Amino acid sequence: MGVLIQGDNVCKNFGGLAAVSRVSFQVNEGEIFGLIGPNGAGKTTLFRCITGVYPATSGRISFNGKDITRLMPHETCVLGITNTHQVVKPFPDMTVLDNVRVGAFFGRGWVRREVKDAAKEAMRVLEFTGLAHRASSLARNLTLPDRKRLEVARALATRPQVLLLDEVVAGLNPTETDMMIALIRQLRDNGITIVMVEHVMRAVLGVSDRVMVLSFGEKIAEGTPKEVYTNPEVIEAYLGKSYAAGGAANRQINA
Amino acid sequence: MQVQEALRSWKPWVGLLFVLFLLWVPSSGIAGGYLQTLCFLTFLYVTLSTAWNILGGYAGQTSFGHATFYGLGAYTTAILVLRGVPPLMTMPLAGLIAALYALLWGYPCLRLRGQYFAIATIGVGEATRLLMLNLDDLIKNNTWLNGFLQDGVLTGGATGLMLPTPENISSYAVGFYYGAMGLMFLALLVSWWVKNSKFGLGLFSINMDIDAAETVGVNTVYYKNLALMLSAFMVGICGSVYAQYVFYIDPQTVFGFPMSIAMVLMPTIGGIGTLAGPILGAVVYIVVQDRILTANLEIGTLKLSLSSLHLLLYGGLLVLIILFEPKGIVGLQQRLVRWWKRRSGGVMAKKTT
Repeated sequence: MGVLIQGDNVCKNFGGLAAVSRVSFQVNEGEIFGLIGPNGAGKTTLFRCITGVYPATSGRISFNGKDITRLMPHETCVLGITNTHQVVKPFPDMTVLDNVRVGAFFGRGWVRREVKDAAKEAMRVLEFTGLAHRASSLARNLTLPDRKRLEVARALATRPQVLLLDEVVAGLNPTETDMMIALIRQLRDNGITIVMVEHVMRAVLGVSDRVMVLSFGEKIAEGTPKEVYTNPEVIEAYLGKSYAAGGAANRQINA
Repeated sequence: MQVQEALRSWKPWVGLLFVLFLLWVPSSGIAGGYLQTLCFLTFLYVTLSTAWNILGGYAGQTSFGHATFYGLGAYTTAILVLRGVPPLMTMPLAGLIAALYALLWGYPCLRLRGQYFAIATIGVGEATRLLMLNLDDLIKNNTWLNGFLQDGVLTGGATGLMLPTPENISSYAVGFYYGAMGLMFLALLVSWWVKNSKFGLGLFSINMDIDAAETVGVNTVYYKNLALMLSAFMVGICGSVYAQYVFYIDPQTVFGFPMSIAMVLMPTIGGIGTLAGPILGAVVYIVVQDRILTANLEIGTLKLSLSSLHLLLYGGLLVLIILFEPKGIVGLQQRLVRWWKRRSGGVMAKKTT
């Protein structure tokens, strides 16, 4: 289990605002790495620094030992890092199959010649994610859970080594959430490393191997889910000072 | 199997008949060659609107500056022909120069998104037109050039350039008729290929969501530039054909803003981002322009020349299309088909019950 993504003192400023400041982290191969924190903690910004949507202001991010700090999103995608979007972004006037075909055509699999027939690969991915029956309908006509699945499917078709999931269960009902979590576990079992940002605690703590907590752009805790949710600093960040002392944490999280 | 099914349908036969008709037009002499000229212009404009559609329709980057490529193609041919290069040999060169110019301004401008790109292209188009108006002065009065390009006329400024007229003009025109027809089919073939290829899928993904396209590995800058260059290459060749056909070009006609607008209008009227849309749009455009430029209206004692009104008409048409049917004629046709199917489906259901 080697280190796949390594971030050293990653900073990202927007004008005078430090959205992410001096965050260092490691993502190991084959694990599910959860990224949590209150609203505005910088989780999505950190994601965007990794994929290259925003270049980091300072610090260094490497992938498989290669510096990816300054790469564009399509370049990191071809290397093997893909993300899904918090607000789903399907290509609305394409069929579901074509949506996924874009990923198969332009992603790492095609570039490294692992994929020979993009349409066949797209269909295989659709079957895996449980969208095969919607293959020929327009993406704009999908329901939200299906759109979230499509988002994952399209990312998956690029054959990523690491998949960054940005709030894939937000807005889903409990049954749909369980199905999505089952899918995420399945992905990990297929050898894909997962980094997930999530607000739904039940989802992220239940499935993650390790969790990192951000608050106001800074890392405040890292460890197994259990270590993290009993950490007083984390409880303070989420619930305020008065809950930090005593066993209020467990009550809140189990509630 | 598929071929057999296609043969049973009426569509390919009608298409074949139509192509045969077009092939027959020059030898028919209908309306004293008037129809031939009209068809030639239609071929040229179908090629133009198909070329624009690759960037504007497939990739969704609305360009109001395509006249620059048309003008550059025309001027490349004119300047080279006046220096003794065989006209047909200048055509690929005209396309190449247009494509290189596209890269020159496309690389910075295509970083802009949506309407900002469209505004930038208006600026580029106007700047290029002014540059071509004044290029002769700039070169003539430049002491650094030391006689390079300074003898004779280069671009002719506002007066434009005259090309030598061949002796047998009617056979020359017939040759260009078939040439333009071939060019049109070639352009349609390219458009069809782009639409069904990996390249086209990339362009469509850029059109629909550029951020999502980036995250799944589409090199958006590269593909947008490639689409612009391909589009410019085709438009440049059209400009070259135009210069050889009319023997006279000047900056106002070939670089003018109305030319750019025409290239935006045609695919929009016909159906943006589709294969058939630019064809239908160009046909409508040419026919309307031809009818209205020569039309005079007489209502009682009121006499009105409509020639100055054609831009107004296109403006009105554009507003109607954008408001009610953004997919143009093709969208209208699809709507009719759906309506017809629903209606006949309803009738069938009634019969069975």
